[in-house]
Amino acid sequence: MKSLAVARNVLRRIVHDVRTLALIVILPLFFVLLYGNSFSGSYRDLTIVIVNEDNGLVSVQTAEVGRVTLDLGLAQSFIDALDPQMFDIVESDDPADVDKVGKSGVWAALVFPRSFSNAVVNEALRASGERKVDLEEGMVTLLPSDPVGGPKTVLVLDDGNPLIAGAIRGAFDAAFTQVLQSQQSSLTVEAVLEVRALHEGKIQMLDFTAPGIIGFAMTLITVMLTAMSVVRERTSGTLTRILIAPISAWEVTIGYTFAFSVIGVLQAAELFVASILLFGIRFVGSPGLVALIIVLFTIGLQGIATLISTLSKNEAQAMQFVLFLLIPSLMISGVFWPLETMPATIRPLSYISPLTYANAGLRKVMLAGGGFGEIGFELVVLAGFAAVMLLLSVLSMRRQAYTA
Amino acid sequence: MTDGEHVVQAVGLCKSFKGRIALDGLDISIAQGQLYGLAGPNGAGKTTLIRTLCGILRPDKGEASLLGWRMPSSRVRSQLGYMPQDFAVYDDLSVMANLEFFGGLYELRRAQVRERAGELLELVKLTDRKNQRVGTLSGGMRRRVSLAISLLHKPRLAFLDEPTAGVDPKLRRALWDDFNRLAEQDVTLLVTTHLVDEALRCHVVGFLNAGKLLSQGTPDEILAETGTSNLDDAFIELQERGEAKS
Repeated sequence: MKSLAVARNVLRRIVHDVRTLALIVILPLFFVLLYGNSFSGSYRDLTIVIVNEDNGLVSVQTAEVGRVTLDLGLAQSFIDALDPQMFDIVESDDPADVDKVGKSGVWAALVFPRSFSNAVVNEALRASGERKVDLEEGMVTLLPSDPVGGPKTVLVLDDGNPLIAGAIRGAFDAAFTQVLQSQQSSLTVEAVLEVRALHEGKIQMLDFTAPGIIGFAMTLITVMLTAMSVVRERTSGTLTRILIAPISAWEVTIGYTFAFSVIGVLQAAELFVASILLFGIRFVGSPGLVALIIVLFTIGLQGIATLISTLSKNEAQAMQFVLFLLIPSLMISGVFWPLETMPATIRPLSYISPLTYANAGLRKVMLAGGGFGEIGFELVVLAGFAAVMLLLSVLSMRRQAYTA
Repeated sequence: MTDGEHVVQAVGLCKSFKGRIALDGLDISIAQGQLYGLAGPNGAGKTTLIRTLCGILRPDKGEASLLGWRMPSSRVRSQLGYMPQDFAVYDDLSVMANLEFFGGLYELRRAQVRERAGELLELVKLTDRKNQRVGTLSGGMRRRVSLAISLLHKPRLAFLDEPTAGVDPKLRRALWDDFNRLAEQDVTLLVTTHLVDEALRCHVVGFLNAGKLLSQGTPDEILAETGTSNLDDAFIELQERGEAKS
């Protein structure tokens, strides 16, 4: 009975705490909705460049009417067989555009050589022997010809993201298979498609997820530590005491930010070193750039933590707000699943999550050795995030002093 | 800079929280070097008044000025001492570390803090505890640490919210002696207490009830006004008069 009294008291206190009650009810539902939406999407709008130099013509020897020329346009058939929702196809005349892969959001480039259709058909005939087909001239027998060479098209693939690279590879295989089957060709996809992976297949799933996981671990620890600390400072009255002293809210905020940024950077260093030593994660870029991303990210996180502390009456509420805000960021920031798979309804959330940019920047540096040029956008976003959050922290700190 | 000799001036202060009136058109003025005792029961509005005067709370109506500066103003901060009712100290730091931190905020050098801490810890009888973690001290001791922090930078004006609550009678007497000594040194003190009789040690007493100042004057004036022999009785008399009037 005494245990029941204790339980009743605990529940009564929760019921009286409206914010905690709301979080208890909303949090699980929120996670389910987010989880369901985040992981139910399919790949969309992946930008690929296609350089189609194939003239589409096929010249074959027949037993009945000698050499005939057919216009099959196999390269175009292949392009048409690609899923238009999955790919945003940029058609180009310049083979140099292949170099765009891995940059400017281009995931892959495909170059069809000039005599692609001709080579594919003749190579198939050479492999399978003569074949009867119904042409305008009537039923004719196509004869195997001498090797014409070069039936292969080259797919340059950004395999920095193993999931997307796998999906693109799968889609291309399917499209080629469909075209080859329609031509009753005995050729395999491998015979006509040569894949050149940008990172030579060296980036594994562990390498791919490590930057995001490290960023998330750092976020969780730093934000929780800061939010709890500020709430404790406020509820114990020391924050008011500090702000009555001749010190501005700016100075207090900078002091807090500096202290917790140092902690954040040290934590990140620990996470990186442990991940490299224990699991050999790929790290080919500049540690200085990684540190810059981490510092900007951490400064912004202090702001989030201070805002959370403003919303929280006590440390328990702060903890729940931290979970409420941060766990979803792991799902929507492209850590496990690429942003390209997110449904359109979720993507705006992905774009406002700072972890998205920290993760993208860290990946570019760690996995591909990206420099300032490659991570410029991420650095600008993270710097803007840090500046805005710092400003909001000051306002929030001032408000907390007056509401303590 | 001050309005005559008055370092605290407030006119028509009103403050309410979700419809509950905490200050109800309150006027108060405190002269320089005065030890002003603000007495009243729990919930009378003492803490709200101090927080409003310090600029922590914004009044709904009325205005206040400290040391000649209309509040809230950052200009008076360095001359202001504030001891909140809750301890407002870092439990996980030692007594000395607390003093060093807050001393730093008032731009005191380390040597100055050490010297001043020595004097104040002597005052609050915590010299032998200076290296002890505050969290391991008793409630009364923590309150004394809080008091020491509020006087560390030698403020011209100090607001002390219930500084003697939970303090044993002997030390309480010593503290009131020290408040009087500080006042002799031209420091102005506003000290709240819910132990009405304690206010006898003050130059001027203000009785606060339900956000209104029932009366203010020297202890002798208040006793004469109410025809009572002690401040407890005087307060009850004033309270009853107020209720009869309303």
